[in-house]
Amino acid sequence: MPTGQTFHDLYRDHRGWLESWLRRRMSNGHDAADLSQDTFVRLLASSQRIADLQEPRAYLATVGKRLLTNFYKRRSLEQAYLSALALLPEDCVPSPEQRWILLETLQALDELLDGLPRPVRRAFLWSQLEGLGYQEIAERLQVSERTIKRYMAQAYEHCLLVGL
Amino acid sequence: MIGSAPSAEARQVVRAAAQWLALMESGSANERDHAELQSWRDSHSSHEQAWQKAQLLRQRFADLPSALAMASLDRPQTSRRTVLKRAVGAVALVPAAWLISRQLPLDVWRADLRTATGEGKKVQLADGSSLQLNTASAVDIDLKNRRLKLVEGEIALKVPGTSPLTIQTHFGDVVVSQSEVCVRQGQSGCKVSVLNGTVQLQPLRGPVFSLRGGQQVSLLAAGAGNVEPFDVLAPGWRDGVLMAQNQPLGDFLRELSTYRPGILRWEPELESLRVTGSFRLEDTDRVLALLAASLPLEVHSRTRYWVTLLPRKNIV
Repeated sequence: MPTGQTFHDLYRDHRGWLESWLRRRMSNGHDAADLSQDTFVRLLASSQRIADLQEPRAYLATVGKRLLTNFYKRRSLEQAYLSALALLPEDCVPSPEQRWILLETLQALDELLDGLPRPVRRAFLWSQLEGLGYQEIAERLQVSERTIKRYMAQAYEHCLLVGL
Repeated sequence: MIGSAPSAEARQVVRAAAQWLALMESGSANERDHAELQSWRDSHSSHEQAWQKAQLLRQRFADLPSALAMASLDRPQTSRRTVLKRAVGAVALVPAAWLISRQLPLDVWRADLRTATGEGKKVQLADGSSLQLNTASAVDIDLKNRRLKLVEGEIALKVPGTSPLTIQTHFGDVVVSQSEVCVRQGQSGCKVSVLNGTVQLQPLRGPVFSLRGGQQVSLLAAGAGNVEPFDVLAPGWRDGVLMAQNQPLGDFLRELSTYRPGILRWEPELESLRVTGSFRLEDTDRVLALLAASLPLEVHSRTRYWVTLLPRKNIV
């Protein structure tokens, strides 16, 4: 009998369920509550017609799972970033404000690179961040220089398409 | 991304721009390539736009501090679980050979397990539970009666099933099912930390109570102490790591010495120096060397098994 249900019905009937569904998959109750809200916000913003939703929980779980994956990606990036910060010599550590801006930039770039195969991503990062030449990257990855050229083109194409 | 998918033409232009860029960066482009690129850019405004966008993209990466960006964007791929367990401290990112190398299946119902100082052990029990022993620990396993007896030291137990396993300590019982817990037995008490799920505790005195993930409590001869929160995400001995956050050196060294066979002594004036960092337990000599590199102290080893830490003299 999902016909005619409103967003309000959906929120009232399933928010608690979704939150405990997320909580079982996360260590922190606050994060679960935040993600559950985000899931409903996504639903509001999507073109999905709420009145037509046959299996609301399955739908919410699908959206929730995607948000959860992103959440963990961001979390792992933050942790890697903090670890790297902790290893920097004191006089190289950026100011708190710079640190924050940098983290946001890194998160945006991380999302941009998401979906690229691991070796392609590596080759791209070595080239862009460390300025390595194709030959050196080829040696590191133990593939041919031609392959690196292909990887680089693939990475550029991917990033530019996401940015379109 | 919101909005419609890019058209086939737009994709085509992007692909061409990407290939031009890869060619230019390869270092193998000749004069003719440069001329052809120029005419490609000139031939249509969308080409030039795509080319400019690609340049902006390069600029975004070029502006980043390379070491930080590399460490963050090229981080090892992780499962959700490891993400949760990791915290600040790059050393924790390396798998703990300390434990993995000693992982073994245990298909018996009764066993007495023991680890030496500096040794860790991880075993799979016949009922699917997993048990990890920290340094200098001993546990007697009796799966038939669903009991583990913690004789000394520290264990972590994960029971995925619903059939409870009871850890018996000198200071009370801990009942574990569908949960994961760390129990550390000392001279005067026993610390129980719940990593996941809920466990039931029966102290020597006082009522049974339950403890949730992220909570820890000390069981003492007089009964249970206060329930306190702790960080389940912080790496610890189970990852082969010893963490310190602004910890007095004395406390840190007392902890470290439980992983180190032989004698470790230090001058009292070192006691209150502060230590921060994460240290790999599999090489405690290296931990001492790291301390000497970051703190005003020197390591004097008579033998590997008799080490004294002294204040470093004549520091500028």
